[in-house]
Amino acid sequence: MPETRRGVLKKTLGGAALLAAAGAVPLALRKTKLREAPAGLKFFTAAEYSIWAAVADRILVEEKPSGAPTAAQLDLAAKADAFLAPLPEADRKDLKQLLALFDNALFSLVQGGPPRTFTGMSPEEQDAHLRRWETSRLAIQRTGYQAMKRLCCALYFSAPAAYASVGYPGPPYELVKSVLGARR
Amino acid sequence: MIHTGSDLDLTLEPDVCVVGSGPGGAMVASRLSRAGARVVVLEEGGYHTKDEFDMQEATAYPRLYQDRGNRATADLSVLVLQGRAVGGGTVVNWTTSYRTPDSVLEYWRRTEGLSLTPQILKPHFLEVERRLGIQKVDYEDTNPNNRAIHDGCTKLGWQVDTVQRNVRGCLRTGYCGMGCPVDAKQSAALTYLPDAVAAGAEVYANCRVEKIERSGKRATSVIGSFLRPGTQIATGKTVRVRPRAVVVSGGAINSPALLLRSGIAEGPVGKKTWLHPVVAVGAFYDQRIEGFYGAPQSVASHHFAHRKEGAGFFVEAAPVHPMLASIAFPGFGASLRSQMALMPNVCATLALMIDGFDPGENGGTVTLRDGGGPRLDYPFTDRMYECFRAGMKAMAQIHLANGAREIVTFHEQSLQIRSEADLAQIEAAPMGPNRVSVFTAHQMGGCRMGADPSRSVVDPQLRHHAMDNLFVVDGSVFPTSLGVNPMESIYGIASWASDHVRAAVA
Repeated sequence: MPETRRGVLKKTLGGAALLAAAGAVPLALRKTKLREAPAGLKFFTAAEYSIWAAVADRILVEEKPSGAPTAAQLDLAAKADAFLAPLPEADRKDLKQLLALFDNALFSLVQGGPPRTFTGMSPEEQDAHLRRWETSRLAIQRTGYQAMKRLCCALYFSAPAAYASVGYPGPPYELVKSVLGARR
Repeated sequence: MIHTGSDLDLTLEPDVCVVGSGPGGAMVASRLSRAGARVVVLEEGGYHTKDEFDMQEATAYPRLYQDRGNRATADLSVLVLQGRAVGGGTVVNWTTSYRTPDSVLEYWRRTEGLSLTPQILKPHFLEVERRLGIQKVDYEDTNPNNRAIHDGCTKLGWQVDTVQRNVRGCLRTGYCGMGCPVDAKQSAALTYLPDAVAAGAEVYANCRVEKIERSGKRATSVIGSFLRPGTQIATGKTVRVRPRAVVVSGGAINSPALLLRSGIAEGPVGKKTWLHPVVAVGAFYDQRIEGFYGAPQSVASHHFAHRKEGAGFFVEAAPVHPMLASIAFPGFGASLRSQMALMPNVCATLALMIDGFDPGENGGTVTLRDGGGPRLDYPFTDRMYECFRAGMKAMAQIHLANGAREIVTFHEQSLQIRSEADLAQIEAAPMGPNRVSVFTAHQMGGCRMGADPSRSVVDPQLRHHAMDNLFVVDGSVFPTSLGVNPMESIYGIASWASDHVRAAVA
């Protein structure tokens, strides 16, 4: 019987909670480093917005700035908020649990990372943290990584402002217009 | 006519209620309406026309795909591209059109006691091909992304050919997957649904079917909720349809979920769901490919469709637009950016696994999640992993033969293949859920047809084994996958099945 996404998450979170109860409470409670969130978020709390923004920064970082818009310039966390808000309740709960675990300092430590929240890590530590999730032995971490990576990429690369960075000229509107005009 | 909502709660009493307006539902609605039956079609997706198709991924995927383009297996290991609109998948598919292979029909006859033969289906396919303008693509009309497969296979001596497409006056813009902006693609929304409407059918878009009510062996009512267009939010208005017969045509994930939600759970409903699981490679060329333009699919190789080693697979192309490419490419940050920057020089090639032909194979399972929506699980087997590796190797060989500079796989740590010697890396690379990008654009099975009620949900005429007036007519009835793109098979089998549905309301 395959384990459910929620079931695995609960087990994983349960594991973290047990460790926390064993004496490392201050680490588990270490707080998310907050960014200024826009008003009117429909899905994220300010902390969740900050976690997503930090993830998007590293998913879309360039080796050298090329003039392409940054994740922050496109406010991918606000775009993710709008995209995720209409999801069914079960998915919304999953995502909130995922973000809490992803930014949990104790869980990072248990996995061989620094005893810091993701939002409190250096950029290099953040990349290593993302890679630990990407290649984890735990399927749920790979699932969580894919969920964040795919949505960040989808929101970024579907934005016309990002087209030039990948050499994409965009849709052939003139061709379509000329043909439709001729048919009319 | 096609309604996009209702200001009132409705009660309708047609002869037939069709749930879903993809190729199965549209065909049944058309055939029955033209035969004089009063038909109501309920469709969860919206009604969209060419003026709304802006060729932007940011608009198209949330608007025209299930779960706003985010449908996936529960563990996210398989991304599910599946249409959700008036016309269903035919609005967004890449137009590749094949009849059901003779060998597949023969297998179904042998294993499931079906009577379908190429001769029985031939007149139905001929009519579909006429109505949809299905024609074979000329090699000269293929784009470089597809031509690479053709030329590579030819150099290797492997079977390859151009495909048939359901288009008229195609500009080959490359945007089939986002809705055709010039109505060249002959989707159900432009063909069989208007035919049905002209014959009196009533189509309700933005109407989610919550359940089918039953009384013993009869489906008595179909209950739907109207949604605000573009959302999953109910308006509060409902429809109750009391038909003489119900046709479930929601596709291979939503149809079994509707039956389960309705307590019509007899038989292996939701079991043996087939996906043609897809692995892909990106091949980098020195010259520009511009895989974002041109007919997205125009070439296919079935050279490996009948392997002895394990599951067979076939090879086709995928359009290269920024969003889809970025989701498929592994990694993040600078490595992802550097690969994306070369997008105009990339060929995207797919190997589609032909699942369902190993007697012990279970494929995927559809169950219900909290709230009643469908949940899909598709655990990979060792046999499937072997096939993934074989598919990646074959695709790399095709591009090496065709002069690609480098081929990258979509493992979590992508492999770079520059020569035959590098192919050995594919054997060693770790495999597992979310360790390699897997997609599906072809969903089949879950309400399989067959003579034995313990192995199938509907009988050989597509009537539910346990229900006198309920039929399932869509890709969910296929006992296995097809080994070819499924749209034309769904149309053809739906055309044939329409006579059986008609007999039930005569």
